[in-house]
Amino acid sequence: MTKEEANAPRAARFLVSGPPLLFLIVFFVVPSLIMILTSFRFPGEFGGLAPITAPAGANHGEYGLTTEAYQFFFSDILYAEIFLKSFGVALATTLICLVMAYPLAVLIAHSEKRFRNLMVLLVVLPFASNFLIRIYAWMIILGPESGLSHFINAILGAFGVAPVTLLFSPFAVLIGMVYVHLPFMVLPLYTNLEKHDPSLLDAAQDLGANGWQRFWRVTWPLSLPGVFSGSALVFIPVLGMFAVPDILGGTGDILIGNLIKDQFLGTRDWPFGSALSIMLTLVVLSVAGLAAWFARSATGQRAV
Amino acid sequence: MMNTRCTHPAPVASLLFLLAWLVLFTTGCAKQDQDAVLSSKENVLHLFNWNNYIAPETVRRFEKSCNCKLSQDYYSDNEEMLAKLSAGATGYDLIIPTGNAMDTLIRQGALKSLDKTLLPNLGNINPAYLDTPFDPGNKYSVPYAYTLTLLGFNQEKVKSLGLPTDTWAVIFEPKYLEKIKGRVTVLDSQRELMAAALKYLGYSVNDTDEKHWEEAANLIVRAKPYWAAFSNTSYIKELAVGNLWVAQGYSNDMFQAALDARNTGRKFTIGYSTPKEGAVLALDSMVLHRSGSRSDLAHQFINFMLEGKNSAELTNLIGSGNPNMDAIQYIQAGIADNKAIFPAPEILNHLEMLRDLDRKQRRVLSRLWTEIKLR
Amino acid sequence: MSRTNIWLWSAAGVIYAFLYVPLAIVVLYSFNDSKLNAEWVGFTLSWYKTLFQNTEMLTAARNSLIIALSASFSATLLGTMAGLAIHRYKLKVLPVLVFTPVAMPEILLGVSLLLFFLQVLNLTLGMVSIIIAHTTFCIGFVAIIVRARLQGMDESIFEAARDLGASPWQTFRLVTLPLIIPAVVAGALMSFTLSIDDFVITFFTKGVGEPILPIHIYTMIKVAVTPEVNAISTLLMLLTLVMIIIAARFESHASSSANATSRETG
Repeated sequence: MTKEEANAPRAARFLVSGPPLLFLIVFFVVPSLIMILTSFRFPGEFGGLAPITAPAGANHGEYGLTTEAYQFFFSDILYAEIFLKSFGVALATTLICLVMAYPLAVLIAHSEKRFRNLMVLLVVLPFASNFLIRIYAWMIILGPESGLSHFINAILGAFGVAPVTLLFSPFAVLIGMVYVHLPFMVLPLYTNLEKHDPSLLDAAQDLGANGWQRFWRVTWPLSLPGVFSGSALVFIPVLGMFAVPDILGGTGDILIGNLIKDQFLGTRDWPFGSALSIMLTLVVLSVAGLAAWFARSATGQRAV
Repeated sequence: MMNTRCTHPAPVASLLFLLAWLVLFTTGCAKQDQDAVLSSKENVLHLFNWNNYIAPETVRRFEKSCNCKLSQDYYSDNEEMLAKLSAGATGYDLIIPTGNAMDTLIRQGALKSLDKTLLPNLGNINPAYLDTPFDPGNKYSVPYAYTLTLLGFNQEKVKSLGLPTDTWAVIFEPKYLEKIKGRVTVLDSQRELMAAALKYLGYSVNDTDEKHWEEAANLIVRAKPYWAAFSNTSYIKELAVGNLWVAQGYSNDMFQAALDARNTGRKFTIGYSTPKEGAVLALDSMVLHRSGSRSDLAHQFINFMLEGKNSAELTNLIGSGNPNMDAIQYIQAGIADNKAIFPAPEILNHLEMLRDLDRKQRRVLSRLWTEIKLR
Repeated sequence: MSRTNIWLWSAAGVIYAFLYVPLAIVVLYSFNDSKLNAEWVGFTLSWYKTLFQNTEMLTAARNSLIIALSASFSATLLGTMAGLAIHRYKLKVLPVLVFTPVAMPEILLGVSLLLFFLQVLNLTLGMVSIIIAHTTFCIGFVAIIVRARLQGMDESIFEAARDLGASPWQTFRLVTLPLIIPAVVAGALMSFTLSIDDFVITFFTKGVGEPILPIHIYTMIKVAVTPEVNAISTLLMLLTLVMIIIAARFESHASSSANATSRETG
């Protein structure tokens, strides 16, 4: 090989990996760093940000860097409460999605090969519709004039209970979150279940295990990596969502995403909004790390 | 030899055709309407205005008089407007902020000063509304209209329930709220709701004592379970169709609700009054934003709205207060002596204009507001 | 065994119904002759008519299409390069940068880009800012799809090309590219769909005066709900359905040709 030919692969490597790397550094890494920096600055007197360097003769206490935004975050249990609430909603959504997605994934995995693609497509298809439409659909179903509302309130009325509004409630938010994220749970589960060796189940049956035992001792442990991927794919986006509570929720149903949005498009408190975003990022990274750790240790426990 | 060419071009081609057609179709349909209206597409005045704060007829007459198009974006809260401007919203020629928001904009250096030579009608404004502490000498602003934040109510319902209509107590006291649970809304605005609570407790709307704020917040949290929602715009329609019986809102919106109820032949009427504890007076002015490109058209608009006839049209159609002396003669009798729109002197003493808060105060208020929403 | 099957089938049926009934209701009520989305009154196409007279909506649709086309073009280009690079070379930094935007909550990306555009670039928010933002989060999806396809391929083809004396560029042009075209097209279609549907990131990076379709729909939902929203929703669903069908047919044609190819060489 000549020197040119030896260098050609190296040149090719730069040419291929360079542009995307450059683009992402400029439009992903730098903005993230800006966000970190912003969380350590003072908010401007009239919105925006205060300059980092104080103008001549100005009071130095109001310029430069500060941990004020983070102090504000920890000064009141309120913000931790909102994080916990978002956590709870994300957890509930993930569990409900898991319970709903599992039977479906099992069915698809055990179906004949020629039907499988179609069934998967049918799961993914709703996901292809606009995200807002999927939320709007539930506005219709849960609205006070809908058939469902009338039906439920009629039943409640029969027991002498006051009518409830289904829409603009935590219940509506939960349904909306589940509806939007269900396909994300189905796909990883199905991908994992498809790879299970059916002879394992036959062997278990020969050894005298009943249906429940076959599921709990064989299928479930083998599916854990899929369970964790699916859970991460649902949990993490739900943590940051603001559109679902914004449209389907009542005034008290604000989650961390709504709070962040308010700081930028309402209160004009960019440092605090950035601080909240950094806290959210840390939570997300921890969750992702945990999920990866569980997935690895679960794979280590695979049945032989 | 391997067949390395990708095979079926048909799906990709059909896809590209579909997309190209869509782009052309939407462009064609969108442009058609605009071309029909404009003689020149570049003559556009960009206005950032409150919801429901200009009558369609006024817009049409202005467009004819200037041979241009008025393009509007809306906000329902001063905070929303300031946040959007902070977040990079540019290209607005004219904005109509309330006094305290205008204060902020002036101090940010975001406004262009006015060319008074282009505003011969400026003398029409009642001097009482000029020279505000926000803009001494009116370098940047011309008063547009003013509104009060007050209580609107379904008169028949409120009478039958024996509720008072001249006090904030009706939205803060459980003994009244019990009778209207789920049928009352308040404004989704930090400043406005706090102002009402502070006034009810006997403090000024510009009180920045944190202890007083806590008191007001507790008052609000105590009343919250009875409220149907925090609403900035939907209460107009809900009052007019009878779903809501009491609402905190702006005087011109209440005027609209009353009109709608009358026009649709409802069996009830919508009334509105200023609570005796006092309320917020919002003086909105027209200002030029520095990112606008058509200050000529902007000045034309301001001068147009300074004409008594046009200014009166605003009042007659949307029920806003009017600082224009020349307009009084054109205002309908029913509106001119409506005490909620043109407050009597004894009420004027209890009205206050909001001042802007500094950043520390804004942060404290925002935390209180989050707590209010969450509890 | 058949008893569990019945349970499985009914559970699956319920879940499929759960997925489709809400969307069916949206489509159904787009033809309903009533302003309230409450009960069926009669069939009408009037909402579609008002839709086509709504200039702001049409401008929003046009803007969204332009953005989606531009963003999917750049995302496909950069994402394909990224997918190739990650598969071929042992890179440490690029995979992290490419896949993190996919996993993160969208609001974080939206907010950080807003800050970046305003503070560093002093850019007036508008179509350009949205296109850049959409490209950033679509690159990851394209890279995942392209890399998955490369991982499933037989390495011996590339070795054969190298042994025959092909330069890296020739290998790419004559061997790699034709084989990954289905993945590239799938990635492009995925980016297009994601861009046209995107709400959160667009929400933070859009300017004023230029309507964008998802934001316009959002305003309609929050302020004044009329069945016009149902009509535009139905049309959007139709568009994405058509695109998915075309993508599926392309995929099956291409993979059958790839199968034929490997049968020839294998």
